[in-house]
Amino acid sequence: MTKSRAARRILAATSLAALAAGTLPLAPALAADGVTQDRLLNADKEEGNWIQHHKNYAGHRYSTLNEINKGNVKNLKVAWTMHLGGIEGGGIWSHGGLEGTPIVENGMMYVTDGWGSVYKIDTRGGEGKLIWKMDPKTDREWAGAVACCGVNNRGVALWGDLVVSHTLDGRLIATNKENGQVAWQRQVADPDKGETITGAPLIVKGMAISGVGGAEYGIRGWIAATDLKTEKEVWRTHTIPGKGEPGYETWKGPNNAAVSGGGSTWVTGTYDPDTDTIVWGVGNPGPDWDNAYRPGDNLYTDSTLALDATTGKIKWHFQHTPNDPYDYDSVSENLLVDVGGRKLAIEADRNGFAYAVDRTNGQFVWATPFVKKVTWTRGINPDTGKPFEYDPNKDVQRYNPAATPSAENKNADFCPGNMGGKNWPPTAYNPNLQYWYIPVIESCNRVTHEAMTQANLKPREFFTGGGPSQPFRITGSVTAIDVKTGKVAGKHETQFPLLGGMLATPDLVFTGEPSGGVMAMDAKSLEKLWEFRTGGGVNAPPMTFTVDGKQYVAILVGLGGAWDKWFIDSTPELKNIQTGSMLYVFAL
Amino acid sequence: MRNMVLPALLAGLVLASSAAWAQGARSAGGEGELGVFKKACSGCHKWHGGGGGGYGGEALSLRKTQLDKEQVAEVVRCGRPGTGMPYHLRGAFDTVKCYDSLKADMGGNMPPETAVFLRAPEIDAVANYVVTQLKGKGEPNLEECTAFFGATSRACDIYRKKEGSDAPTASH
Repeated sequence: MTKSRAARRILAATSLAALAAGTLPLAPALAADGVTQDRLLNADKEEGNWIQHHKNYAGHRYSTLNEINKGNVKNLKVAWTMHLGGIEGGGIWSHGGLEGTPIVENGMMYVTDGWGSVYKIDTRGGEGKLIWKMDPKTDREWAGAVACCGVNNRGVALWGDLVVSHTLDGRLIATNKENGQVAWQRQVADPDKGETITGAPLIVKGMAISGVGGAEYGIRGWIAATDLKTEKEVWRTHTIPGKGEPGYETWKGPNNAAVSGGGSTWVTGTYDPDTDTIVWGVGNPGPDWDNAYRPGDNLYTDSTLALDATTGKIKWHFQHTPNDPYDYDSVSENLLVDVGGRKLAIEADRNGFAYAVDRTNGQFVWATPFVKKVTWTRGINPDTGKPFEYDPNKDVQRYNPAATPSAENKNADFCPGNMGGKNWPPTAYNPNLQYWYIPVIESCNRVTHEAMTQANLKPREFFTGGGPSQPFRITGSVTAIDVKTGKVAGKHETQFPLLGGMLATPDLVFTGEPSGGVMAMDAKSLEKLWEFRTGGGVNAPPMTFTVDGKQYVAILVGLGGAWDKWFIDSTPELKNIQTGSMLYVFAL
Repeated sequence: MRNMVLPALLAGLVLASSAAWAQGARSAGGEGELGVFKKACSGCHKWHGGGGGGYGGEALSLRKTQLDKEQVAEVVRCGRPGTGMPYHLRGAFDTVKCYDSLKADMGGNMPPETAVFLRAPEIDAVANYVVTQLKGKGEPNLEECTAFFGATSRACDIYRKKEGSDAPTASH
């Protein structure tokens, strides 16, 4: 097809859509909005839209919009709000919360609440109007009883005319974008085994990629791909190798520990189209704090995994905390950045170190501590990428023995505490400054060790090898890493840990605090330039979009996550934060 | 207008008093006790009271406890010094002595404060629940599971499978 013929065809299609728009306003909008692989690959070019969970496949959460900038951000105010639902309790949880990233396409916003209801909101005209709500009728007791860390759902993905989402009780649901009717659904995870899903799907070439939670309940983790056309599973890659597979030899001892090895995958990963590679973080081994139960390095827990997107085959891995005795998940998103002629994957780990690896082969490049206090290790060996104390000849690692829970050290205090470091809340990356912004939990906590036996392993029961308590006050920070040097470029300290995540724009960064503040900072100096007190707990990342030619910043506000149930003693003032479920949208 | 207010007020009073009665009836029976247990205890001690590790810390088994009702109530009121078990009585170690001590006497041994305080009747109810429904019990079963989670959820399916498909489901 010649260029002019193609152009004519596009023109014809556009006119047809325009003509039809007069009589049937919804149908052509649907056709025009169909999300394709091409659009996902070029998500950055849709400046006013936010059509991917992490904004682009590389996980940058960077918007080029600059109508709101450091010169005028002080004038940012609430444009409109909308009350959402999903605060009901279920299982061991007294309430649901909000952790999602809103998706916006041509003025239509899609958000989820903790129980997986999807809301389509028309943002045109300077206000929000609910178009439809899809309630998946999640089995709250079934799922909520095995959700270690709250009633959470981090949002939707778009494909064709579908809105694709997960539920805590393990389903993948495809909803008609137009009318909110469930087109189809399939059970991907099994809460009978302690599996739950909280992450947003990643869509790659017509497949929805799902991750699973449940490493505290003796699961064997996986990443799974579902064909959105055939509704069938294309591949499922376990993060704990089976018998005969490479890495199986890293699970030693008499306990058959690999079958309950954990390695959950509950944070949405990234995708490198150049090599057709999915890069996805893997969580902690189980039982969390009794590493003597599972001698060996315990691959691929606490690792970054690179998978062939077409087959799910493992291409490479990089492990951060071998034979982890601390619950230092590596589920965090890997940002794909090109710096200094190198193709890097960068990850801020729960163990307190930010890592860069070569994303073509998984080779270690650098690591740097991004928290103020690390006690579990002296540091990361710059030659190997492993903790200095790591001994490949030892089956059970003790790192700094005084800071490591074990049968000989029943109550161990270590920093960062088991929540990190950095937990699921996403980082953001400014590609011009080459600054990477980490929402930090500056923490230490105490873990009481409990020796596990195979008899402790029961379906739907915690299998952790002990538990944490909170004798120390926990604070937070936004920490910027200069990816050119791999060094900390700035730290903005906060009274409370950052449990929501980051957004970067050309000269600003935005984040929220669990005490209710949403704030903007100078991208270079991290000086706070604006703040609004929402009066609710902020546990979700901000995003930005345009509609009617105007820029908005949106964020979900609703006390969620694990903090208020398990970790509140470290931040007593947060006991006053009430449950809620609200969308805030700001504009100049 | 004035004529309409009075019947509405009266109706409101009747509704309010019947609601209060219903609540009273519930808290006197098992459901009220279970409600307090769910709210205050099940996160760490698990739904079955068996305790063990988890994100709530390393909680003791209430099924294996040797404490009597008053001793359980005291631990709920005052917490367990030196452990993660919080005190649940507003003013404990402050306006009310616990273990014959105030905050100043406890030093670094102060138990943590609960996120939500319990009222005295709630403490009595939950202590009763522990000694009558949990203490001395063996492995949790389907009946206990459905009593906790209800019969409309799949939360107890694993016990149905374990006890065989012919096993009767608990009726409510």
